[in-house]
This record gives sequence, structure tokens and C-alpha cells, in this order.
Amino acid sequence: MKYVDSRSEAVWSQENIIRFLRTVQKAISGAGLIAAFLFSQAGSAQQLSSFEGVPDWTGVWQMIGPTVFDRSTLQPPEGRAGRHGVREFPPYNDVWEQKYLANIERVSADRFPDPLSFCGTFPGFPRTMNLPGALEFVVRPEQVWILTEDGPSITRIYTDGRSHPPQDEIWPTYSGESVGRWEGDTLIFETIGIKGAGETILDRTGLTLSQQARITTRLRRVDAGTMEAQMVIEDPEALTETWMVTKQYGRLPDGSRMFDVACAENNRNPVDATGRTLTLDAEGNVLDVGVNTGVQ
Amino acid sequence: MMKEHERSRTIWLVVALTLSFTCFSVAAHHSGNMFDRERTVELTGTVKEFQWTNPHIWIQVLVPSAGGEVEEWSIEGGVPNRLFRAGWRPASFEPGDEVMIVANPMIDGAKGGAFVGAKLADGTTLGRFAE
Repeated sequence: MKYVDSRSEAVWSQENIIRFLRTVQKAISGAGLIAAFLFSQAGSAQQLSSFEGVPDWTGVWQMIGPTVFDRSTLQPPEGRAGRHGVREFPPYNDVWEQKYLANIERVSADRFPDPLSFCGTFPGFPRTMNLPGALEFVVRPEQVWILTEDGPSITRIYTDGRSHPPQDEIWPTYSGESVGRWEGDTLIFETIGIKGAGETILDRTGLTLSQQARITTRLRRVDAGTMEAQMVIEDPEALTETWMVTKQYGRLPDGSRMFDVACAENNRNPVDATGRTLTLDAEGNVLDVGVNTGVQ
Repeated sequence: MMKEHERSRTIWLVVALTLSFTCFSVAAHHSGNMFDRERTVELTGTVKEFQWTNPHIWIQVLVPSAGGEVEEWSIEGGVPNRLFRAGWRPASFEPGDEVMIVANPMIDGAKGGAFVGAKLADGTTLGRFAE
């Protein structure tokens, strides 16, 4: 793997410039808001060399609002992920809209198990940004870590000036492959190499992305009590245009602690071979009436 | 005395907090469709065991039935991290505690339910427990 020390080489490589221009071009042809958002990325990028100048993101944070990935398009507006008939409206192409509709049907039939229900895997990025439990944003000069109680999981964002590794060194992982840079107190990072549909979801309405997804996140502390993540999602396999999602996180009281959410500790809701979620009694026997076998 | 609109606002705050910390957290890890959200049962009995565990807490309650037999109910609650922040503790329930528990029962009639609220023998309540 090639490590690049010069930030000018890493951040403004030819590939990145082309990608940036392509993104700006899309934005100009789209909503003015998105264009303004992306243009603001043209400021001077920074690489931190010491803890001096590191923004204060200390503390424990929790997402504001329900675990719906894109609340701006939620229908019905008061809907909750996992309830029947609830959906969002990402700019899916026809094939992925059909996939989403099929997932919505499975949710209604109680046959859309959350991958987390199997108690073996991470939530995966970008669902990391849409979890019910608490998070920490740990800033070091050369990396930023997003630590989540759910999973528990770690997303590492390299900010030491490196680029993404070559394509043949990337394979789909839960946290994906993230590199970032600083613009003042805003961290801008790009994530590729995510697991995608089949192994991860974005929320329990049934939203998914493909392994081709590229997520550009602007993360900053907007005020003393609020962190904000603006995500611009590109996915040439699933989306017809960029999808912009904003999430906010409130700061829990000083002194708050993070806890394990170690799902395998005492999972009394296993999923059977049909995708049905079962309920066990204290001895591990299936409580559900008429169900005796097929527990995974 | 609390003014009507202040009371209303306070009640809404309590409802919102209660919903965010109890109701939704039951569904944080898995489908909650095995529970009847439109119906509640009130169980009066004795705590057999309190499992302060991930991904959900469980309260095992021994409830005398009308026929004189004792039935064991499995009541599923939220996740320890969020319950802790809402004021619960690992010893919020202890074996032998006399309790009244309100729960959304399993749709198929099995002796399980999703925790809604509880009142302990000393009068303290957790979750949504209306007198």
C-alpha cells in the first residue's frame, strides 16, 4: 500500500479533481442548495500535525430523532422504521425502487430481519450515522474514529493525507474505507468499499445501497450541544442522482459513559429459517405458539 | 398550581421521553411485530429474575392465574444503555419484588410481552404507568 505524505498530492490527486468536478457538475445541474454545499468544499484543506488545533468533539452524543435514515422524505412523516407502510424516497432507479418495495413488503409481513438481529455483525457505514445508541467522535491528528455503542463498531477515517488504496486493495467491509481532510473545524471524508445490500441496511424500512456507493460526509460541531453530518451519497448502481441526507446528534450530559451493546450476550429473539423473529423464554424454549424448530 | 398549558406541555415532554426511551428501544434490535401494540395486559406478581442484559432486558414475573396456578411471564424491555440514561439501574427489579407490570402482550397468546410500565411495592414507577 502506498502512503502519501504530501497533502496536496493526496487530496488533489488527478482522480480526486475529476471526481470533484464531476460532483460539482452534477450539483450545478441539480438543486442550488446542493451546489452551494459542494462549492463550499473548495476552501483550503488542512492536515493536522498535532493535537493543537484539534476541534473539541469530546463527550457522548446521541442521534436526534428516530432511526429513519432520511427523515426529510419520510412518509408518513411521523412513521417509524420497522412499522408497516413506512418509507422514504431516495432517488433510486427503477431496479432499486423495486428492491426497496420488496423490502417494504417483507417488513409488513414481519420477514425483514434487521441484520443486527443475527448478533454477529456491525451496523456498517453509513448506518453508523443512524443508530439508536450513543456515539463518540474521537479526533486525533492522523485519524478520526466514530465509536458506536450499537455493534459495537468503529469507523476509522484517515486524515494523514493518504488517498484511498488502489482498487485491487479494497474489498467490501462493514465500516468501509474512509479518508478525510479538514476545512477549518469541518471534517470532510469520503467512504467507499461498503458491504451494501444483502449484508447491511440503512434503516428498518428496508433502505439499502450497493457496494458501488460513495459517501462524502461533512462532519462538524454546529453549536455546543450539536454535531451535524451532511452526507452526499453517490451510487451509480442504485441511484439516478446524488442523495443528500443530514443527521444531527445531541450531546449527552457531561460525565455520560458509553456502554456495550453486545447483542450476543443474551439474545432471546433469534431469527428462524423463514426470516421470522422468535421469542424465547428464560430457559431458551420458543415461546411463540406453534413454532418449535428452525431456529438459526 | 400548574397552569393548563404548562401541564399539557409537561405531559407531552414526559410522553415524548417515555416513548423515546422505552417503546422504541424495544424495537431497536429486532422486529417488534410479535407484540400487540394496540393492547395492554396488567400483570400483578413477583419478580423471579431480572436480566439486565443486551440486546434487551427481560423481567421474569410469576403471576397467579385465575385457576390458582402460577404462570411465568417473559417481559422484554429496552436496551441497558438507553434505559440506564432514562434512570433504570441493574437492580431496578430484584427477585422477590412485588410488582404490577403493564405490557403489550404477544399477539399469539404466548406468555410474553413488551414492557410498557411498572409499579413497585414502594410506589415507584418506571416507564408509562398510569394509575
